Amino acid sequence: CKEEFLDYTPQGALGEDLLATKEGVNSLLIGAYAALDGQGNYGLNINGGTAWAVGPDNAIYGSGYGGESHAMPLSTSVEPINEFLNERWKASYAGVSRCNAVLRVAAKTKELSDADLRNIIGQARFLRGHYYFELKRMYNMVPWIDETTTDFKQPNDKDIWPKIEDDFKYAVENVTATQPEAGRINKTAAQAYLGKVYLYQKKYSEAKASFDLVINTGITSRGKKVDLNPEFEDNHRPEKELDSPEALFSIDMAANVGNGTIATANQGSMLNFPINSPFGCCGNFLPSIDLVNSFRTNPANGLPYLDDYNKHEVKADIGILSSQPFTPDAGTLDPRLDWTAGRRGIPFKDWGLMPGNTWIRNSVATGPYVNLKNIYWNATKALYYDGTAWAPGSAINYHVITLADVLLLAAEAEAQLGNLDAAQAYVNRIRTRAANPKGFVYKYRDDTKPELGFSATPAANYLIKLYPDGNFKAGGKDYALKAVYFERKIELAMQGHRFFDLVRWGLANSFMNAYYAYEVTKVTEVTGMKFIPDKNEYYPIPQTQIDLSTVNGAPTLKQNPGYQ
Amino acid sequence: CHAGGVLASVPAKTVAKAVAYADTEVSGKVLSDKNEPLVGVNVILKGTSIGTTTDPDGRFQLMVPDGGTLTFSFIGYLSQEISVGNRSEINVQLMPDTKILSEVVVTAYATQKKKDITGSVSVVDVKNITKQPNGLVSGLLQGQASGVTVISSGQPGAEPQVRIRGINTFGNNTPLYVVDGVPTQNSTNLNPNDIASIQVLKDAGAASIYGSRASNGVIIITTKKGTGKVSVQYDAYYGVQVPKSGNVWDLLSPTEEAKLRWIANKNSNLPINDPIYGSGPEPVIPDYIYPLGKMEGDSAVDPSKYYINPNYKGDDDYNKFYRIIRANKAGTDWYHEVFKPAVNTSHNLSVSGGTDKGNYMISLNYLNQQGTMLSTYLKRYNLRANTLFNVSKRIRIGENLTYTITSNPQQTELSDLNIVQTASQMAPIFPVRDIMGNYAGIFGTGYNGNNPVGTLERLKDNRTLGNRLFGNMFAEVDVLKDLTFRTNFGGEMYSGTSRSFVYPTYENNENTKYNAFTQGSSNGYAWTWTNTLTYKKLIGSQHDITVVLGNEAYKSYFENLGGTTRDYYTFDRNYTTLSTGSGIQSNYSGRSFESLNSQFGRLDYAFKGKYLLSGTLRRDGSSKFVRYQYGWFPSVSAGWRLSEEGFMQGIKWLADLKVRGSWGVMGNQLNVNANNGYYTFIMDKAASYYDIGRTNNSNQPGFQVGQIGNPDAKWERNINANIGIDATFLSGMIDVSIDYFRKDIKDLLYNPAVVGTQGPGTVPFVNIAGTTNRGIDLSANFHKNLAPDLRLDLGATFTSYKNKVTRVTDNTNYFFSTGRALNGINYVRNEVGHPIGSFYGYQITGFWNTTQELDAANEQARQVTGNAAAVYQTDQALGRFRFKDANGDGIITADDRTFLGNPNPDFNYGLNVGLTYKRFDISAFFYGVQGADIWNQLRYSTDFYASFVQAKSKRALYDSWTPENKNATLPIQETKMTAATNGSPTSYYVEDGSYLRLKNIQLGYNLPASLLSKINVSNLRIYVQAANVFTMTKYIGLDPEIGGSATSFGVDKGLYPNDRQFLGGIQVSF
Repeated sequence: CKEEFLDYTPQGALGEDLLATKEGVNSLLIGAYAALDGQGNYGLNINGGTAWAVGPDNAIYGSGYGGESHAMPLSTSVEPINEFLNERWKASYAGVSRCNAVLRVAAKTKELSDADLRNIIGQARFLRGHYYFELKRMYNMVPWIDETTTDFKQPNDKDIWPKIEDDFKYAVENVTATQPEAGRINKTAAQAYLGKVYLYQKKYSEAKASFDLVINTGITSRGKKVDLNPEFEDNHRPEKELDSPEALFSIDMAANVGNGTIATANQGSMLNFPINSPFGCCGNFLPSIDLVNSFRTNPANGLPYLDDYNKHEVKADIGILSSQPFTPDAGTLDPRLDWTAGRRGIPFKDWGLMPGNTWIRNSVATGPYVNLKNIYWNATKALYYDGTAWAPGSAINYHVITLADVLLLAAEAEAQLGNLDAAQAYVNRIRTRAANPKGFVYKYRDDTKPELGFSATPAANYLIKLYPDGNFKAGGKDYALKAVYFERKIELAMQGHRFFDLVRWGLANSFMNAYYAYEVTKVTEVTGMKFIPDKNEYYPIPQTQIDLSTVNGAPTLKQNPGYQ
Repeated sequence: CHAGGVLASVPAKTVAKAVAYADTEVSGKVLSDKNEPLVGVNVILKGTSIGTTTDPDGRFQLMVPDGGTLTFSFIGYLSQEISVGNRSEINVQLMPDTKILSEVVVTAYATQKKKDITGSVSVVDVKNITKQPNGLVSGLLQGQASGVTVISSGQPGAEPQVRIRGINTFGNNTPLYVVDGVPTQNSTNLNPNDIASIQVLKDAGAASIYGSRASNGVIIITTKKGTGKVSVQYDAYYGVQVPKSGNVWDLLSPTEEAKLRWIANKNSNLPINDPIYGSGPEPVIPDYIYPLGKMEGDSAVDPSKYYINPNYKGDDDYNKFYRIIRANKAGTDWYHEVFKPAVNTSHNLSVSGGTDKGNYMISLNYLNQQGTMLSTYLKRYNLRANTLFNVSKRIRIGENLTYTITSNPQQTELSDLNIVQTASQMAPIFPVRDIMGNYAGIFGTGYNGNNPVGTLERLKDNRTLGNRLFGNMFAEVDVLKDLTFRTNFGGEMYSGTSRSFVYPTYENNENTKYNAFTQGSSNGYAWTWTNTLTYKKLIGSQHDITVVLGNEAYKSYFENLGGTTRDYYTFDRNYTTLSTGSGIQSNYSGRSFESLNSQFGRLDYAFKGKYLLSGTLRRDGSSKFVRYQYGWFPSVSAGWRLSEEGFMQGIKWLADLKVRGSWGVMGNQLNVNANNGYYTFIMDKAASYYDIGRTNNSNQPGFQVGQIGNPDAKWERNINANIGIDATFLSGMIDVSIDYFRKDIKDLLYNPAVVGTQGPGTVPFVNIAGTTNRGIDLSANFHKNLAPDLRLDLGATFTSYKNKVTRVTDNTNYFFSTGRALNGINYVRNEVGHPIGSFYGYQITGFWNTTQELDAANEQARQVTGNAAAVYQTDQALGRFRFKDANGDGIITADDRTFLGNPNPDFNYGLNVGLTYKRFDISAFFYGVQGADIWNQLRYSTDFYASFVQAKSKRALYDSWTPENKNATLPIQETKMTAATNGSPTSYYVEDGSYLRLKNIQLGYNLPASLLSKINVSNLRIYVQAANVFTMTKYIGLDPEIGGSATSFGVDKGLYPNDRQFLGGIQVSF
């Protein structure tokens, strides 16, 4: 009688045992995918366009605005006690824990065929590998937690690259070549990611082998042969995502799904729209002067200035009010610039000419450019813009790995292996697409009525050419690598790759400090910033996590060098 | 359990026929020993409920049957019984009772004479508390009961934070209210006019018998019963609350603010080319703030260009807006745009009476407290019916029932971007409205902030409605002469609804561009069924025994339901329902329930009336626990009335002296959620759904962890020891009560953050932490007739506690309170050995005044680190804060953060002063808090130019470091946030929050009975009153009375202040 009166069954929730069905395991797997976008935590798990891409030399985070910034310029005062850092750590392990739940429960279900089971486990291990990859390159030494772990206070004393490799290898061997849904991981995606993992470890031959498979025989989850999209900008148009031959593994965003938030609509980028613009918020994540200068091409050969691009500055409207006159740069430029950075006087997608200073909180502090890759189009905003929150959401996916990314990684592997022609071919494939005049930004027919569309006149003096045959070979390995690295900088700018690339190339110290030295002559926001070698290559382990890991008075987690 | 049958066994009884009495009217006068009229003496026909009270002239009149006996009783005086005989006039003189301790007090499951109480019990003077114009009983307790700490907000209906003897848990610290025998945690719906008595049970000796629910202390409230002939009472007041006047945040005028902008830019070596204020050597205040910096006559401000559709429905319309906003050169006083004088009124009507067959009391209260902040108010209707039927000599059946209807929209306080904070941040150059009367805002100006008037006015059509039926029904049977059985079934049924509309905004930088209607409802019930057997026996003349045995069952259920729809054809509030919108619809529902099952017993034993011993034991089971459902909660207490001993008899001035002590254990499980014991998975549309099909507009459902389960959770134990002294001096002129207590909370149920590697999920409560509180409570009263017509009453309370965290988890010794971070760095730290809610950060020791100082410090840092690039303090520079090297390692790191302040007061105190002169009475109530620190977070935005471009304080302009003014309080003003100025939590934000406040002063006048008898009025008192008259404090914010959560309070992020009030009132009885 007493027991009955105190009886209780949880309401609106299920125990793990009830999920050991086909549908249950599949739903757990969807949950593991859903952690990709940061599970509603302001998109903390995404590297592109958020505070977590602040380290690199291609963007200024914050907005020269003061106040509680989400920004943590890695090079100056990032402190282990900063809670934003802690949230980022937790978001990645949230993904790990969801993958582990799939693995734990899948093993218990009897409803799945062996092939289905392997396909599910493969996807879960791929996702787990991805979450650990993010942790690895951000924090370096991190604890490994898998589906068998019961004590979560594990030390961070081992290099987890082998474990990450194992997860992707399993995925390569067990995930199916095509999938019923476009957003699911397939074999080609796994091969691409495995190649990237190899490359991060400087295992160039293994990386090359993986990339070769992707480039030569890879297909997308919908069975399409992998290829570059015809136009650079296609990668940032939601309507092109479903059948994109280029997107190998993306974080799928969905707008206006009716959950009352923009949690699945690229919430991570919500602050990264120009201020005082039709977008409403908030002026963060701004392309640097250094980045924009990188798009200058040599009028003689259509190639970039690999070393002295900052000596060929793109004309900038720093400190000039929108009411004061300004004429945009007339020199030769890589056409990808105007799909990457919004600058005054140039069509800002179909929103009209970028007006300059009024869209910037303080151009003297941060420079005059705004981020463009996360901007939805006016013509299709009914479908892809999500106005549920106080700042915009959108259905534009974040690409973790695209074919362009793979081609440049492959070029790097080939160059490292001495195959300079092959490396050049890959870079030129990227440049060929960029040089396609169909993919340029054009002037509006009528600057006051952007909705009428574009004219046939390019918006700026675009000039881009391929590296001439044998150029890499003639320049040698170091030159080839420099060209590959530079191509990667401009092709994938503002997508969260740059900082981690600089670190793995061993160039972070020299490049970052050179960047600060240059940028500070233009804008004030980087005043006092400095990259400290043997420290700033990695973020500090969050102090909160170190403290929570204490057992018998001693923390299980160890702080990264330089932050103790 | 289904232990029914008891109620059913009570035979249905027909109402006994009224017996005819031959009534005669008796009248008379009651005087004191000094021949002064005594007001309020109870005159009751013995053995019945017929009775009355004396008027201000000491007069009474009553219809009594022949042969009756009248009992005259009055607190502080000996009762007298006088047989009426056939007299029609009876004059009585009452003698003072040196043993006022025979007053009967309601305690746990019993009533006790005050002199016999061995636990620590504060008896509240209800007369004093109901003098205050506050509709919330819990708020009225402030300073009126020793051991009780109350922090109230000025917001109508906002439940005050009530703490009995410090802070017990990291979660819910609300005491248990037992209203007419029914336990509840909700006191906000009680009508203060209905209250007959309030007792606060503070130690285990008094409260342990409530076992599982007593840990936070118990407040026993008894509502009024009717007595005597039919009496009609009408009480009303009407008043005005007046917001604080002046420039409350000490903000700069537009001209001064622009000047600060120039200074900050200059200090940051920035060229000045300002779109609003120009590029000259001095800023120029333009005629128009938007379009930026335009002067009158400029074509850009031609009103024909203006276009705003405040009810726009889409981006396309919005993007056509042309805003024109004139600059308010004189400066807008945003505080007084948001806070306006507001009316506060209450009407209370009650009818009561009683006979030997029973008694009744019905009352109706209407309370309407408009908030000084726009769109806030409390409207409440309370209907109460209390009745008791003497079914037979041995059986009594009764009920106490109250029905409440409340409408109480509230605004969030003390959180980021609440209205008050917004008002403090909105720059004065902005007018409230633009040139066409639409809201003016910061759009496009580079300023930051939201127009608080716009926010509030858009809320004015929102509605909330709460209904609550609360009460009990009971039956008492005197089974034997000494044995009484009582069954009491009580509880509540409640429901609440709310609807609100989100209007699109256009005046801000970040605008809501959609419209949506939301409706929500919740309902639930809770019942408690208590059965007790009470045996009371005086054995011989020396052994007084009371035994209580009982059981109690409790069950509660809650559910909610709501939805949101977007995109309305019109925003007319008569049109918007969940069904009439055309856009996305979303909905939610939830439910929870819990139950408790308990058995308890109590033994009180008194030997010779001077050696007192008491013991209680309770066993509780909770549905929230899985493996360890039951807990045992014992207590023992003892008292020794020294004054009854022979050796004390000669001491004339000592009327009574008792020492007492207690030890016991109380329990707690309030903070544990119902699913705590179970590991669960849930679906969440925001967090676990994913667009796996790459559709761009839809998601597939997925699972995520809901609750991380802890089946091993068990009862939290509050181990409590108390020593006290009660003394009465000079024939009752002075009485004093002092207690020293110590509370140790063991197995404190706390949900410490789990390591990130475990993954997310609701973290379970585990029995891991601990706290202690120790302190002294003191209360003292003084009553004296200073002259024949002049009486003085003084009552003082003193409350102190020292709180300390004793344990957090096995492995870590601190945790930060959430929602309290500055630039991502937490500043409220709860650490072992320190009080809960302590402020934490860098201690400022001064400024970096010279480059030599900077160089020397860096040199030192290089030596201690061996790193040639080392810097002593991050972002150190001339004019910025220099931090204390708290750990003395020669360099400033995160380890140099230290404890900067404690929001717990050293003590608080209350003083009631009452003076009665003839027909006049004047009373005043002072309340004070000493030694509580405040973290003034509003300084972050107002005092540093670099913390967003918004309103700034005079301090920022006139008291900041410059090479010429090194004796400043603020660092050099710059445009960029740095770790050495506003980017770190520092001691700059900590202020002394001590204050003394005249809470209330009232002047009353009783009209003479001679005048009143002509209009059939027995009593009429009128009064005028002022509340929150003055506050003496050094705190610069709006109000030093700052609440918050258990683990973080005293952090001022913008609060709703307690405003001054002026009232007039009337009390009439017929």
